[in-house]
Amino acid sequence: MIAVLVVGGALIASLAIIRSSASTSGPASEWKGTAITPDRPRPDFVLTDLEGKPYDFRARTAGTLTLLFFGYTNCPDICPIQMATLTGALRTDPGLPATVVFVTTDPVRDTPDRLRTWLQGFDHPVTALTGTPEQLVAAQEAAGLQPAIAGPPRPDGSYDVGHAAQVLAVTPDDRIHVVYPFGVRREDWLDDLHRMLEVPEWQARSGS
Amino acid sequence: MTWWCSATGQPWSWSPIAYPGIWLAMGVLVAIYVRSWRRLAAAGALDPADGKRRWAFGFGVGALWLATDWPIGTLGSGYLASVHMVQFQMYTLLAAPLLLLGMPPAMFGRLLAALRIDGLAHRLARPVVAGVTFNLLLLFTHSPFVVDRARTNQVGSFVLDVLWLVAGMILWLPVLGPRNGFRHPSPAVQCLYLFLAMGVVPMIPGAILTFSELPLYSVYELAPRVGSIDVTADQQVAGLIMKVGNLPFLWTAIAAIFFTWARRDREAAVTGTVPVTH
Repeated sequence: MIAVLVVGGALIASLAIIRSSASTSGPASEWKGTAITPDRPRPDFVLTDLEGKPYDFRARTAGTLTLLFFGYTNCPDICPIQMATLTGALRTDPGLPATVVFVTTDPVRDTPDRLRTWLQGFDHPVTALTGTPEQLVAAQEAAGLQPAIAGPPRPDGSYDVGHAAQVLAVTPDDRIHVVYPFGVRREDWLDDLHRMLEVPEWQARSGS
Repeated sequence: MTWWCSATGQPWSWSPIAYPGIWLAMGVLVAIYVRSWRRLAAAGALDPADGKRRWAFGFGVGALWLATDWPIGTLGSGYLASVHMVQFQMYTLLAAPLLLLGMPPAMFGRLLAALRIDGLAHRLARPVVAGVTFNLLLLFTHSPFVVDRARTNQVGSFVLDVLWLVAGMILWLPVLGPRNGFRHPSPAVQCLYLFLAMGVVPMIPGAILTFSELPLYSVYELAPRVGSIDVTADQQVAGLIMKVGNLPFLWTAIAAIFFTWARRDREAAVTGTVPVTH
């Protein structure tokens, strides 16, 4: 009987440890991303969507919680993981009113068909944008990011593209308060996105 | 130098990776076994029936190597939770019992004496102690806190691998411990022990992995993807393997214990002796 109680108690305690240690939550006041001071305005750029139509980012996403990421589909690590964690979190909570916008930094290889196929793998609606190299540099600069640079080609013609790894969270007040470097987990996304929608100063202003 | 499998964050590739530390560990294990075998043979301490134990040891080392080295070790330590769970089953349900079976009683006794853990091993060989210890080690070494910290460096990853092998040996000690030194429970208790320790308790963490909406381990969640395998699906498969992957091993072991028991009873009935079950 004592052995059973000891086993039961130890198992319950261990399971409690497993569950609690799965959470990486820190103090309630801290964001899982990096808060930026001063905050930045919603980027103003016009690119092309997968239908070949102009997409005015600032106008089309105004007043919404928007998650903006610059990357490329041949990226071997950062881009697929960032997109998978972000869209995975949003799939878990379909009611979360957040728009994901993916802008390619490799317009030569990331054709509309290639972008469409790649994004289908994430099983969540994502707005994909492309443009001329000049337009894409301008868009990254408008977002406050260092423009991406293509690396030297390998013998087989493939190449990597060095680009900013963070996702920019544009809140409904049309400001960027927090950016998310690589390494943010799904549960962190869910925590932060819910909290962003609860900060009164970060909500859409009437008439804006 | 990369001497042991750990999570590196590098994109997965099917190009083999050399882990000299793993080869060295396997070489040391075999060298110690061969040296010990020769010494015991020279001293006349081996039973003629011990000869076939070398096969069990060989297969045990083979299973251990397969589970530790590329590709299973690499995938399990830094890419896929499901492959890790296969690796864990190979450690605890294949390599550990085969290594135990592969050691002649005299060799096992000398090993425990050399490590000064003779008393500890005898205490661990009691079913309740062994079952609790195995399952606590299972839970501890699968907690996200431990996995996410240990798997990202080679020393931590090595320690986890050793702990899983030790946990497997503890699990099998009440059933496969040498008959000359360890008191074995009756066959019925052995079957019940294996069913509870190996079959029932691991279903709980297995269910947590299977039904968790979010990935539990950051080391697998933030790892470069292997093909198009989704993190959540990978974790669900890992949970299923933890829950039911052990069943073929469990029922094979229970069947073996049962048929050995029946055979001994039949032989005892024929010769008119009392069957020896301890």
